[in-house]
Amino acid sequence: MKIKERCGVFGIYAFDQKWNVSRFVYYALIASQNRGQETCGIATFNGNEIRCTKGKGMVEEFFSSEKLEKLPGWIGLGNVSPTNPESHQNIQPVSANNSNLVFSYNGKILNYREIVNNSKLGENEDANIAAKLLSEELEKSDPLEATESVMERFRGAYSFVAVTKNAEMIVARDPMGIKPLCIGSFGFDHGAVASESASLDVIGADYKAPIKPGEIYVFTPYSIERKQAFKPQPKYCAFEYVYFSRPDSIINDKSVYEARMKIGEYLAKEFPVDADAVVGVPETAIPFAMAYSNYTGIPIEMGFVRTGRAVRTAIKPTQFERLVGVQLKLNPIRRAIRGKKVVLIDDSVVRGTTTRNIVNLMRNRIGAKEVHVRIGSPRLVSPCPFGVEVPEKDELIAANLTPDEVSRVVGADTFAWLSLEGVVDAIGFPKEKLCLGCFTGEYPLGG
Amino acid sequence: MVKILLVGNGAREHAIADALARSTHSPKIYAAASDKNPGITRICEETGGEIILGKPTDPKFIAETAQKLSVDFAFIGPEEPQFHGVADEVEKAGIPCVGAKRGPSEIEMSKAFMRRLMWKYDIPGRLRFMAFKNVEDAIAYINEYAESVALKPARQAGGKGVKVIADLQAYLQQDKAEVKRKHAQDIYEKHMKPYTDIEDRILIEQKVEGPEYTIQCFTDGKTVKPLPLVQDNKNAYAMDIGPETGGMGSIGGPGLTLPFISEEEYKQSAMIVEKVVRSIENELGEPYRGVIAGQMMLTALWGPTIIEFYSRFGDPEAVNVLPILETDLVDISEAIIGGKLHKIDLEFRETATVVKCIAPKGYPDRRDLAKGHPITVNEEAIRKRGARIFYGSVGLKNGEMVTGGSRAVEIYAEAASIPEAAEIAESCIDSVRLKDDWGLFHRPDIGSETLLEKRIELAQLIREIYNYRKEKNLIGRQVDWIPGRGRIEYQA
Repeated sequence: MKIKERCGVFGIYAFDQKWNVSRFVYYALIASQNRGQETCGIATFNGNEIRCTKGKGMVEEFFSSEKLEKLPGWIGLGNVSPTNPESHQNIQPVSANNSNLVFSYNGKILNYREIVNNSKLGENEDANIAAKLLSEELEKSDPLEATESVMERFRGAYSFVAVTKNAEMIVARDPMGIKPLCIGSFGFDHGAVASESASLDVIGADYKAPIKPGEIYVFTPYSIERKQAFKPQPKYCAFEYVYFSRPDSIINDKSVYEARMKIGEYLAKEFPVDADAVVGVPETAIPFAMAYSNYTGIPIEMGFVRTGRAVRTAIKPTQFERLVGVQLKLNPIRRAIRGKKVVLIDDSVVRGTTTRNIVNLMRNRIGAKEVHVRIGSPRLVSPCPFGVEVPEKDELIAANLTPDEVSRVVGADTFAWLSLEGVVDAIGFPKEKLCLGCFTGEYPLGG
Repeated sequence: MVKILLVGNGAREHAIADALARSTHSPKIYAAASDKNPGITRICEETGGEIILGKPTDPKFIAETAQKLSVDFAFIGPEEPQFHGVADEVEKAGIPCVGAKRGPSEIEMSKAFMRRLMWKYDIPGRLRFMAFKNVEDAIAYINEYAESVALKPARQAGGKGVKVIADLQAYLQQDKAEVKRKHAQDIYEKHMKPYTDIEDRILIEQKVEGPEYTIQCFTDGKTVKPLPLVQDNKNAYAMDIGPETGGMGSIGGPGLTLPFISEEEYKQSAMIVEKVVRSIENELGEPYRGVIAGQMMLTALWGPTIIEFYSRFGDPEAVNVLPILETDLVDISEAIIGGKLHKIDLEFRETATVVKCIAPKGYPDRRDLAKGHPITVNEEAIRKRGARIFYGSVGLKNGEMVTGGSRAVEIYAEAASIPEAAEIAESCIDSVRLKDDWGLFHRPDIGSETLLEKRIELAQLIREIYNYRKEKNLIGRQVDWIPGRGRIEYQA
């Protein structure tokens, strides 16, 4: 069981209408696949109509050249999501007002039920409600004001991009900035926004800056309007740095890679151990392991080769399938592990099942002399109210057992989580500017 | 008393008029302009001159006006009058002129001429290029080579029609080739259409990367005297996002260089301009007298590299340097005319400068929408903040000031550092307003610490690479290997 981020969003605006941007969105979404693998969708506007194609599956599986060619236009928007809604219309990007607006969103609006009850919008999922609300406000006022008034009514964590039939691209991030969002550009030709800067890199755009918490951007054919609509009260999601984001991304102007290397260093400082090899579980834990090795001088070894695609989030319905999943994906390199005292580094432990399987494999099947597990995240003790799927408390091993007990359960010689202070220092923001709820149980907004 | 005829009516000419008016020779300034620029009009009136309305690109009109007023010399601000031979006609009428004649102005007018000249005379800072006389050949070239290029109209077309495309991701090549083809077509059918004075139509140049800056110089054909460096900001919107404009604002100083350009790079840039001025005379047999500006970029290939030439001051760049010019511009003009520029020492006030342009929405691509909006300026408020205003694309309609479609006004401010000057300029933005509900825009980030740091960082990166290449004797050399064709070295 892995933790799933809610979504990846992307938007691109060409200043010259000669461009067809659908392929740019397509590659940007492939680069966002770490943020969701169940559904994907692209919408474009060509000056006349908004077209939207979306469906189930990975971006490369779902979209063909034919599908992309049927999406002409110079403004584009996309979404990848790890959740699979029941109805097709709720797959993102969602449309509102007879396809006069498309909407791509990452996050969770806590009071959306309240909003639904107080309006005539009808029953729906939060992305759809948000899209409808924004579209209603746009009938009454200009895009900046409309967005501001919608944001005033939302309580939650969100980043969104919307494209309207008036050739506007509206971009907003909640006042706490829990969900990442950044802006970039490609020469004199495009402006683009993305959950992660890696999406900008992949299409050759230059990263410029994070969208600030509480900030709104509106792209129009004649301007980019920008407004700090709400006072920023940053509560950046710490888990972006530990796990969700790609290591090649810059999130809130901080390098994810740098944070992960520091995490590895702090693990080494906090929990040193005499060993012969450091091994990281691919992919997220590799920088942790590298830094642990650099700091301690214990050689790093390539412990595993992955089979199959980097699917991070597939829900496996049974314990058996979960086990098969792990064994298929991670094939150990015997010579790197046999007879050695190994520091095994992973990014998180949710139920402990995966860790137990890996330790078991290394110890009993391959013959590691000792296995010391180090986790690059503090104890995960609480589910997230902001759209990250974390299991309930009674399913979280860290919420229920001490490290010693965990080490007995997973069969390791020693076991340790990174300290809360360690992760805060590694990220480099003061504690009060981070949301650390999944480690502490205390969420902003009393989530 | 000296009488001067100034040709042109933008913010650049406003700054020229202002500098001329400061002269100890207390000149009478006349202006030949297509519209009544409020700033230039005022200076003309205050010095006892006047504005004469007419076509600045019409050589006969300008020459006749100059004769009628019996001015001592003419100063030609913009490039188009030069391309139309205004300086030639004025001189024929016996009146000396500051401003390139038709021949030398080719350095700006024809980008192909400029590139050929640089290759012929082996001048550093040159780039690879292909010039095409028809669109089919250009498209055939685009189809064959997927590379990062700048597509340009072969002639200066009001600063419009340039498209720069980085083409580095194989998976996006098709889309980029498509835009290149469409743009080549556009250059041919749209941007180059009005111009029959040049045979080449489309230029495809290699794209280079690095921080840009402008070196503006006075020259009498023999001596080239560089002014302090300026950096213009071309993207329409903040953070270098948005379509290409003529420039949304610029920074300069303190001192002769910029915080991200070294003394040596400044000298090298001036040397390049000097070589070009010399080779123009060698090529055409007539001296270059006036102003010449190199639009430079610091590149890994060469260090200082020529992107384009202006046969005049840049706009807004002129507004950074002319207000701090302490040497008498009338003296400079007379030295240019008399071929005695070597006797002049240029002096500038030691300060940082920032210019911020304010444009109506619609600029740069929909000037039709940007045009005709009534505009007001609270000059008193700007003065109180220690800044100055230069009028650009504005005119008079029924006695009311209206926007002309391009950058309406430019705010000038100076201070000990660029960010401080930027703050002063920024505080004046709301003193300029439209009377209707159409909007104005400007770039709040020009001159900011953040933007400056980015330029410094980029320049440092590029500097390390070109210095490394210099050490390895690779400067200016480009070696390629094409499967099936073998090794190619572009350097002659």
